[in-house]
Amino acid sequence: MSEVITAPVLLDADDGHRLNRRMRDLVDAGTRAITVTNPRSRHNLGVGQHGPVTITFAGSVGYYSGGLNNGAEIIIERSAGWGTGEAMSAGRIEVRGTCALGTGASMRGGTIVVRGNCGPRTAANMKGGALIVEGNVGYLAGFMTHAGDLIVCGDSGEALGDSLWAGNIWVAGTIAGLGADAKVVETTDEESARIHGLLRAEGIDGTFDFKHVVAEQKLWYFDARDPEAWLRI
Amino acid sequence: MSDHGYTQGRSHIWTSETIRDIHAKAELGRYQIRGFSTFRKFPSWDDLVFLPAVMTRLPLEGYREHCETKTVIGGGKPDLVARPLELDIPVYLTSMSFGALGANAKMALGKGFTAAGSASSTGEGGMLDEERAAASKLIYQMTPSRYGLDLEHLRKADAIEVALGQGAKPGTGGLLLGMKISEKVAKMRSLPPGVDQRSCVRHPDFLGADDLQVKLEELREATDYQVPIFLKLAACRVEFDIKIAVKTGCDAILLDGAEGATAAAPEYQLDNCGIPLIASIRTARRAIEDLGMSGKVQLVVSGGIRNGVDVAKCLALGADAVAIGTSALMALGCNSIQYEDDYAALGTAPGACHHCHTGRCPVGITTQDPVLEARLDPEEGGRRVANFLRATMMELTGVAKSVGKKNVHNLEPEDLRATSLEASAFAGVPLAGVEWTVGPELFGGGR
Repeated sequence: MSEVITAPVLLDADDGHRLNRRMRDLVDAGTRAITVTNPRSRHNLGVGQHGPVTITFAGSVGYYSGGLNNGAEIIIERSAGWGTGEAMSAGRIEVRGTCALGTGASMRGGTIVVRGNCGPRTAANMKGGALIVEGNVGYLAGFMTHAGDLIVCGDSGEALGDSLWAGNIWVAGTIAGLGADAKVVETTDEESARIHGLLRAEGIDGTFDFKHVVAEQKLWYFDARDPEAWLRI
Repeated sequence: MSDHGYTQGRSHIWTSETIRDIHAKAELGRYQIRGFSTFRKFPSWDDLVFLPAVMTRLPLEGYREHCETKTVIGGGKPDLVARPLELDIPVYLTSMSFGALGANAKMALGKGFTAAGSASSTGEGGMLDEERAAASKLIYQMTPSRYGLDLEHLRKADAIEVALGQGAKPGTGGLLLGMKISEKVAKMRSLPPGVDQRSCVRHPDFLGADDLQVKLEELREATDYQVPIFLKLAACRVEFDIKIAVKTGCDAILLDGAEGATAAAPEYQLDNCGIPLIASIRTARRAIEDLGMSGKVQLVVSGGIRNGVDVAKCLALGADAVAIGTSALMALGCNSIQYEDDYAALGTAPGACHHCHTGRCPVGITTQDPVLEARLDPEEGGRRVANFLRATMMELTGVAKSVGKKNVHNLEPEDLRATSLEASAFAGVPLAGVEWTVGPELFGGGR
């Protein structure tokens, strides 16, 4: 490992592929802070990035920014397109504007914080980690979530938590409608303390009265649990 | 009891099988689910024959002259793919998950295809360490549910396959019944153990071709433009689906016909959805040619391929390679004559079993039961699969040489004739004897 460099390296996203490669090389060489001064809303910025590094995109980014993130801290100062942080396994992504469809889709670990609103299918197929939205989420948020916490400080759209496997969805505002096999259960004091702890760690103060959405587990099984029933064909 | 000679029933609509099916549904309150492939009778590869060389060309010496089988997938875009998938043979293992299959089966298949100089595929359940170790070339499948999707696994793969459809159950997601969701399978898929897994059909972060194009670029960025990316499609609206797939920028398309098998699917899907592979290949090839992308985007086909001559017919119709599944499982011992009491307990017998969905596979292939799985030795299984592939290549090169080809990829539609009207129309090759192709003028029809 070369010398650790903490002064931000300034880059331009005139070519997204060259930028991604350059950022990985810089991290390998010891750079710990990178600022992309003009991300030009390009797609696939910061994909498959490993840490330790803080990458700041000083503007808006396109689709799949921070996708497959594996340990980097990525800060997007304005808004992000589809699939932000999809399939990330570790690290932290902060979006200071809004996010479009599929934020945190199939993420397995780490934390995503969105200061604004998120579009539909937020945290779809989520398998771990925490996704915190200070604003609202669109329809089908938490669709088929397997594990982890989707925390919404604002309102949710229709079909929240549709076909949940497991995991937890927390909504402070109104829920326009629950999806199939989702139900609201009482939030315990311990759970509330844990979720507020996650929020405080992201600089979100205040007290929220979260509605806790979990799987009703009616879709976990076909009705017939008798193994012999599968032999009727 | 007198049956007046009619004990078998005379109706072609209300057959004994149909009546039994209705009785089962009336009892269970759900549709029927099973493994294996469609029971529908399609025109088959047996309805096509090759025209070996006689006076118009020279055959190759079967036991002396060489016929090339090397196959490269992803070599058409050197600026996007640093390491194309180079195979010694034009046949690789299609995607079957750990979960649908046991770990021993996955290892055996990896060893067998490696011995043959070919590749295997993870299927949708994530990458099993044992399988990665056993397979020298491994394709990593990414399905809508993204089970076990992991950056490091992507980077360990020799190719990536984004699944958009499956021939056995097009338009639906994966299905794996609770009997096969063991602790290990559940952990890899982030599922509660024992649930009946019904997966989503749409990917969570793209909807159409324009989004998918960006998605494929993301995968290339994540893997540093090293390996080819396939799209797996079910054969449905083949011409348009293939053209749109090519537009996304993929390196290869795996087209899975309705003959394709599955570990579990609703029977109504298996027998009523999608079109047969034999009817799809020429249309797919023409679609790629229309876009001027032959040689740049490879066409791989799968679904019901049983032997080397079936492979030869696929290549002749326009495929660059063939993926097999069920025949490889049979090489491992699927439906072999052993453990007959266990077959009987499933209500079936060796040679007739289609109960992959139950997890009670008597020969230890499609199971997560450690007792059953122990019946399959990965070394011996790998040897059998390698033998089968060797025999398959003998058949493929044998028929290609008789037709006069030094390279199996030089087989062409003109080398085939159909022995039935349906096969002529489906495959777009002339009907034997009349030299007339049934169907549109596109493939010579009406001449």
